[in-house]
Parts: sequence; structure tokens; C-alpha cells
Amino acid sequence: MSVEETGYPPFPAGETLLARTPDRARPDQGGAAEPLLEVTDLRVQFRRGGRRVNAVNGLSYRLPAGRMLAIIGESGSGKSVSVRALMGLLPETATITGSARFDGSELVGLPEPEMRGRRGADIAMVFQDPTRSLNPTMKIGLQITEAVRAHADMDRNAARDRAIELLQLVKLPVPERRLVEYPHQLSGGMRQRVMIAIALAAEPRLLIADEATTALDVTTQAQIMELLLELQERLGMAVLMISHDLGLAATYAEDVIVMYAGRAVEYAPAGTLFEHVRMPYTQALLGAIPRLDREPHAPMPSTPGQAPDLTALPAGCPFAPRCTSADEQCADEPPFAEHEPGHWWACWHPVRDGA
Amino acid sequence: MTTTAPPDPRESRVLSRVLGSPSVRLIGKRVLMAVPIILGVSILTFWVLSLIPGNAAQQVLGPDATAAQVRALEQELGLDQPAVTRYLDWLGGAVQGDLGNSLISGQPVSGELGSRLAVTGELVGLAFVISIGLAVPVALLAAYKPNRLVDRISMVVSITGLSVANYVLALLLVLVFAVQMTVFPAIGFVPLSEGVGANLHSLALPAAAIAFPLFCFYTRFLRGDLVDQMQGEDYIVTARAKGIGPWRVLLRHAFRNSSFGLITVVGLNLGTLIGSTVIIEQIFALPGIGQLLLQAINTRDFIVVQACVVVFAIIAVLANLVADLLYAVLDPRIRYGSR
Amino acid sequence: MAVVEAAPTLVSGTGEERSRSWLRALELIVPGAVLLLVVGACFVGPLVLPVPSPVGGNILESNLPAFSAGHLLGTDPNGNDVLARILHGGQSSLTIAIAVNLLGLLAGGTLGALSGYAGGVLDSVIMRVLDVLIAFPSLVLTLAVAQSLGPSQTNTILALAFFSVPAFARISRAATLRLREQPFMVAARLCGTRGWRVLLRHLAPNIMPQLITFGMLGMGIIIVIEGALSFLGLGIPPPAPSWGNMIAQGQASLSATPILVVWPCVALFITVLAFNLLGETLRARWSGR
Ligand SMILES: Nc1ncnc2c1ncn2[C@@H]1O[C@H](COP(=O)(O)OP(=O)(O)OP(=O)(O)O)[C@@H](O)[C@H]1O
Ligand code: SF4
Ligand SMILES: [Mg+2]
Repeated sequence: MSVEETGYPPFPAGETLLARTPDRARPDQGGAAEPLLEVTDLRVQFRRGGRRVNAVNGLSYRLPAGRMLAIIGESGSGKSVSVRALMGLLPETATITGSARFDGSELVGLPEPEMRGRRGADIAMVFQDPTRSLNPTMKIGLQITEAVRAHADMDRNAARDRAIELLQLVKLPVPERRLVEYPHQLSGGMRQRVMIAIALAAEPRLLIADEATTALDVTTQAQIMELLLELQERLGMAVLMISHDLGLAATYAEDVIVMYAGRAVEYAPAGTLFEHVRMPYTQALLGAIPRLDREPHAPMPSTPGQAPDLTALPAGCPFAPRCTSADEQCADEPPFAEHEPGHWWACWHPVRDGA
Repeated sequence: MTTTAPPDPRESRVLSRVLGSPSVRLIGKRVLMAVPIILGVSILTFWVLSLIPGNAAQQVLGPDATAAQVRALEQELGLDQPAVTRYLDWLGGAVQGDLGNSLISGQPVSGELGSRLAVTGELVGLAFVISIGLAVPVALLAAYKPNRLVDRISMVVSITGLSVANYVLALLLVLVFAVQMTVFPAIGFVPLSEGVGANLHSLALPAAAIAFPLFCFYTRFLRGDLVDQMQGEDYIVTARAKGIGPWRVLLRHAFRNSSFGLITVVGLNLGTLIGSTVIIEQIFALPGIGQLLLQAINTRDFIVVQACVVVFAIIAVLANLVADLLYAVLDPRIRYGSR
Repeated sequence: MAVVEAAPTLVSGTGEERSRSWLRALELIVPGAVLLLVVGACFVGPLVLPVPSPVGGNILESNLPAFSAGHLLGTDPNGNDVLARILHGGQSSLTIAIAVNLLGLLAGGTLGALSGYAGGVLDSVIMRVLDVLIAFPSLVLTLAVAQSLGPSQTNTILALAFFSVPAFARISRAATLRLREQPFMVAARLCGTRGWRVLLRHLAPNIMPQLITFGMLGMGIIIVIEGALSFLGLGIPPPAPSWGNMIAQGQASLSATPILVVWPCVALFITVLAFNLLGETLRARWSGR
């Protein structure tokens, strides 16, 4: 492999990655501080062929500035929909209710022109498939400068300089040459770096990475995660990462939300969550955790049972049909509450430690 | 992409790189494929025309001609030769630009074709400019807010327009703009040499008659492609997530990509379009190649018919070829061989 | 995902959605009803309605206006009843269009299916021949054929079938290629089912919907082109009526009696529009939208 494919320039002196533990304590961001993002009872409903699909059903969480939060959950649990709702990127068939306050101002119901002013500038997003997420017929340079100039009054040359800077920031070698190339001339990892450069163009305070590494091989996956981590610290951004992959969440995120059927079912700092699992669903996910000895692109092993039908959710705990601990009580909906300090869950019969 | 450096001189490496590039290979393949198609078309034409019942010479001379006259003409035209020989003779002349002499006027067909093609070319060119020039803004407006008023109206208009035969439309236009309002001439052609204004004035109605169905077709095609992209493509979501305006997303991202497909469709259309000029030139008495073809058919001047049909077919094949090549040259996905 | 097959307890169609499903039904019903009406009027109308003969009119009765006694739509310069000519003209237009599309569907469909199913050299040869036919500007080829064979209904059918066959063949081939590797086709082949049996029992029923849908659009196209041929004097020879030659005849007196052009134009337009709408709706249904 040549230098251009994988070799990234070493970090400048003094900017080496901090040694990180999964569960860092951040004294400056106590629970009392005003969070950057506060989502309360978010609901998203789609109209589809005469039916209503309830993709998100009362999701609540808080994300302090500068922190990394992971949302995990099986496919179809509403992860992507819930974050796209924040940016107003859902199709017209979606109805969004509830509240999502970003830095104190409400995002739900924001008129499109104002929402547009916030996209990229306040909240930016990196998507799962860098191949489909970059316009195949536009040069990389234009795709970046377009993002730069959306929020800054800059002439072409200044925007170009900024684009080069951004490509350096995401550690793409020979940035000048990348500008005149098309997406398919780059490798998958390089494309995802371009996507990150685009997301960073207007210096957002929140970066959402929606399965940003799922389509990449394991080595590249780690490189991209390290990059996100480093950028988060250097730029002081908050990062919301979405993943299937509990291992990835455990390694990089500070807090983790587990989603099921469009709602949060467990929420805790990463270390706490994985040492003291409470939700039977999270435990099932852990049992299905991908391991290094598994092939990189093997499909995510699924938890037993059927994913819930979002057009007709049963009353009570949505996980009940698949849950081994379910009993009559589970016909009532368990409250999502802070049962232990900093550890929230929604279950009548939480898993005991060591079980 | 690493190339093992061979120890041969630099030029040949450059050359092989150029020849080996996906678009060059594609161009070569397409050009090679066009040749047998054109040959096939000329053979088919030859064969169809040889189906004319009875003796062609007799047909030309009329029923009163004596057997000796018929034989003389047959010999002169080479009709006493076997069909294969005749075809090869004709082909030999055709590749040198000699398409034979008209049976009626005795003049070489090639000369006549030139001036005729210019008229037809201008007509078709005008129709393309009008139809694409209108279809692009209408499709953009429709796709900007799908299923809203503009979109609905444009869809109704275009499916209705696609159901109107061009000769019906032509007569309707004549009825309204020539007979009742007398703002445009009903028939006739003013050459470019007598002024651009007068020339365009004389071509306005025929060009409109050809352009309208095309406009409907392009509007439908473009609108559909734009809406599909806006609703289904991830790069559109990326573009929107950058915070750029909706028009910019539509123009810079969706329309840019649709335009490559549009080029291909336009090229494919040229083939069928050239056919519809026959009837339009007839209605408006325009001295184009379509009119020449009809005249030749009615006077049984099969040398001219043969030449016209082959020219029509060559134009259609070349148009497809050029559309393919333009697509290959313009679309970076193909230019760099990702598809 | 099990979103589709769900107990409908918590979901119900709203009024808006119910009216939308009605609209969807209308998309099929309206053009279908119009076509039934047109076909019925053209083929049955002259038998049961008191319409006069379409030819051999009395010259003294020429150019009567619409709603004259005995002539609902008036008469043409030869004194023929316009309504009768429209109905009989429609008969020949529809007959030709149906015959051409049936020919195209059977011959082209079979050719395309064979070509796609067999693959290899046979496929290449058939496809190159079709390329040649498709490269032809259809009207021009038809003109040449029509001239060679002389104007008549049968010859018009043959001439038009010339380029209807390749169009059907392409569609049938594309559909066959898509089906070829489907499990049930592979299974049939592995079971040793004979080639023609696979084509007939497994392939034909599956590509038929697409061919029929294209046939609807093809009906409109053929009616328009048949009109063009007759308009140019190479289709149905006068005095026998056809919409095309009625339009051509009306064109001669366009400024004096424009209405004579309008009637056949309206008939042509309505019929073609109905076929196109039906074809479009069917196509949208089959492609699952
Ligand atoms: N436009 C839409 N119309 C109707 N339903 C939708 C739409 N978009 C998403 N959904 C539904 O919403 C549910 C949640 O989808 P979402 O994409 O958020 O899942 P996810 O958790 O991101 O899954 P994955 O891990 O596969 O990305 C799914 O059941 C999906 O079918
Ligand atoms: S509430 Fe009951 S059904 Fe739901 S996860 Fe807990 S034990 Fe299982
Ligand atoms: Mg997702």
C-alpha cells in the first residue's frame, strides 16, 4: 500500500492524542450545566401507504457541549430518523413532535429557512455510506467549498484555501490534488475523511456521525474514529455517534443511549453501562457483540425474535414479546427513570450485576 | 492503482494510457458498432425497395413504354445485374459520396441532399432549442415542489401533449396562428440568406409543432429524474445538510446529474425526430429532406428514396453515437471508469 | 421488516388516504371506460345506430353543418356523413393498431424471449438485427415499405409491424434477462424441464404484464403513425375513411371549413390519450409506485 492510501502524516508536536479511558470524568461539565442539546419526548411519525409508522416514540436525552454520546440499537430502532429530525432532513411525510433544544433554542418546528441557517453551522452530519453520500459528478473541491461558502462570505480563493485547510485537518495527504478529483477516485476511507471535512466546514458545535464507520474495513474504521475523537478535542465539538457496534461505542463514547422501538431504554456513562447492564435488551445486544475474530463485514448478529412492528406497537414494554424475563407486569409500560445515579433504564425486572 | 513500470519508452506508455483509458475504449467500441448498423440499414433499404412489385424500369417509364425502352433503362440502371452486385456497386459509390442520379431529373442526389439537409437541420435544431429551453425551467419548477400546483399542471400538460399527433398539432397551429390570427405564414420557407427574422418567422409554426411533444417528453423525463434524486439520493441529503439553499441543491446537485441522462435521451430522440420532419415538411411545404423523400416516393424515384432513407438512418445512428460519446466524455463517472 | 403485514388495530386510513385510493382506482377506470366507449362506438355503433354509409354520399348534401337532419356531425365536401366516417375510420385505425400490436407482441415477444433465454450467438445476432431496425426512423421505414407494397389495410399492418416487432422484442428480452436467474426459473431448468416448456409455462406468464403494458402505449403510437401514413396518402386509400385521410382531406379546406379537421383530430386525440393514460397507469402499477 502506498503512502497515499493509508499513510497519514504524524500529528504535529503537542497535538498527540490524549490517552483515553472509555469513561472519562469531566469535572467542568457536571450534570447541572446547561446541555448543548436537550431532546425531550421526541416523536416522529411517517405516513406511508395509508399507515402510520411510529419511528421515534418519546426519545429523551441530553448532550453536554464537547462530549461524545453514542446511540446504539438494532436496525430500525429509529437512530437515524431521530437525528435527521434534529436537522430537518426528513421527507415531507414525517411529522415531528416533542422538543429538541440546541443551545437553548428549539429545533422542532423551526421554519425551513432558519433551519437551513443552522445546518452545517450548528449541527453537521457524516453519513454511513461515503460512496453514495458524495455527489459522483462533482469534484471534491467544489463539494467542500460549497459547504464553506454556505455560511461564510468568502470568495473562491479563500474558500479554496479553507478547503485545503480542512483536508489537512482530516489528514488527507496532498490536499491540493484531491480538490480536482472525483469521489470515485478516492478510497472509502479517504471519502469518509472528505465527508468529515465537509461536515467541519462551518465549524459546527455538534457533529453527528451516523454509522460513519460501518461501511469501512476494521483498520480504516479505527482510523476514522481516532480522527473524530481528536477533532472533538481540538475543536471542542460535541459528537453524537450512532452505531450498531457496542464495542465501538464502549471504546470511544463517554455516554451511551440504547434505543429500542424508537425510544431510549437505557442510558448511562459507557463504563457503567457495560459493567452494570440493566436492560435485558442491552444484554441481548451485548451477547450479539461483534468480535475481532469475526469477519469485518459479517452482518450484525441479531438478537433473537422479531423487530417490533412500528405501525402497531403493543401496549406495555415494547420488548416484552422477545424478553426472557417478561411477566404480567410488563403489560404496563415501564417508566424510563434514573434508577441509579447517572444510570437510566426502562424495565420492571432489571438484570442484576453478575447475572 | 499502481502500474508496474515497463522498461519501454515514455511515449508509448502515454499512448497506451490514452488508448487504454475507459472512455477511449468506449468510444472505439461504439464507433465500431455503428458501422455494421449503418451497413445493415442500407442493405435493408435496398431489399425493401427491391420488393416493389413488377419491374422498376417499367414503373419509371410507365405502362406505355416498349419492351426495348424498358430493357435499355434496365441496362442503364444496372437492373439486369444480380441484387448483390447492384448493392455492392451502390455501396462502392456511396462510400465515395456518390449516391446515384435521380431517375426524374438525372441530377446527382448528393448535391440535392446538401441543401435539403440544411433546411431540415435548421428545423430540427430550432425544435430542440425550443423544447429543451422550455422543458428545463418547467421541470425544475415542477421538481422544486413535487405534487404541488406547478408540478400537477406540467404533468397534465405533458401527458396530454404526448397524446397529440404532431400533424394534428401542426394543423391546429395553422388554424389558429395562420388562418385566424394570420401572424405566421401557413406554408413556405424563407432561406437564411433573406434575413434571420424572416427565416425564423417562416419556421416558427413547424418548429413549434415538432417542439411541443418533445417539450412534453423532456419535461416528464427530467422532472421524474430530478424528483427521484431529490427523494432518494444520499448526496442530496449531504448537500442539504451543508445548509445550502434548496434551489442550489436542485441545480448544482440534482440537475447537474440529470443533464447527463438528458443528453442521451436527446440523442436517441434525434432518430425518431428526423422521421417526424417528413410529415411536418409536407404540411408546411418546407424544402427539406423529408419533402424530398415524399416527392421521390410519389414519383417512384427509388434512387432518391434509397439515398434519403440511408441518410435518415445514418443521422439516427450518428446521433445515438454522439450522445453516447458526449455522455462518456462529460460524465466523470464514466470518464474515469467507475461504471 | 414486518411493517407491512401488521395487525391494523392502531392504524386506520384517514379520509385523505381513502380519497387517494379512490383517485387511484379512477386512473384505471376513466381511460378504460373511454376506450370501451370508443371501441364500442366504432365497431358496434354503425350496426345498431341509424348512421348512413360512410362513402357514396350525395354531392348535393355536401358541407352540411353539424346537427343537420340525419347528419349529427354534418357532411364533408363529398356529401358523406362525418359521424359515419369517424366511426368507420376508427374501425380501421383500431383494427390496424390491434393487429400490429398483436403481431408485435407475439413475434417480438417470442423473439426477445428466445434471444434473452438462449443468450450467446443467437442473442447477439438477433439483437444486432433489431439494432438495425431500431436505428431506422420508424416513419421513414414505414413510408418506404408502404410505397413498395402499395396502400391498403393489410400492407399498412405489415409495414407498421416492421418496427413494432423490435420494440416488443427489446422489452421482452430485458424482462427475460431479469427473470432468467430467478430461483423458480433456475429450478425449472434444473428439473430438466424442456426449453420451450420453460418459455411457455414459466416465462410467458411473467413477462406478459410488461408486454401488455407496452402494448397499451404501442396502441397510441400505432394509431398516430397509421394516421400519418393515411394523411400522406400511403395508408388507407380514399374514399374509404380513416382518421388520417379525413384530416388530410380537411386540410385542403382548412380556412373554409376547419371543423372537418377538428372532428377526426378530436377522435384521434381522445383515443390516443386514453391508451396512453391506461398504459402509464399500468406501468406505474407494475413498477410498484
Ligand atoms: N421515509 C420514511 N418513511 C417511512 N418509514 C421510514 C422512513 N424512514 C425511516 N422509516 C422507518 O423508520 C424506522 C427507523 O428507521 P431508522 O433509519 O431510524 O433506523 P436505524 O435505527 O437508523 O436503523 P439502521 O441501523 O438500519 O440504520 C424504520 O422502521 C424505517 O422503516
Ligand atoms: S419491562 Fe419486562 S419485558 Fe420489558 S425488558 Fe423489562 S423485563 Fe423485559
Ligand atoms: Mg440508520
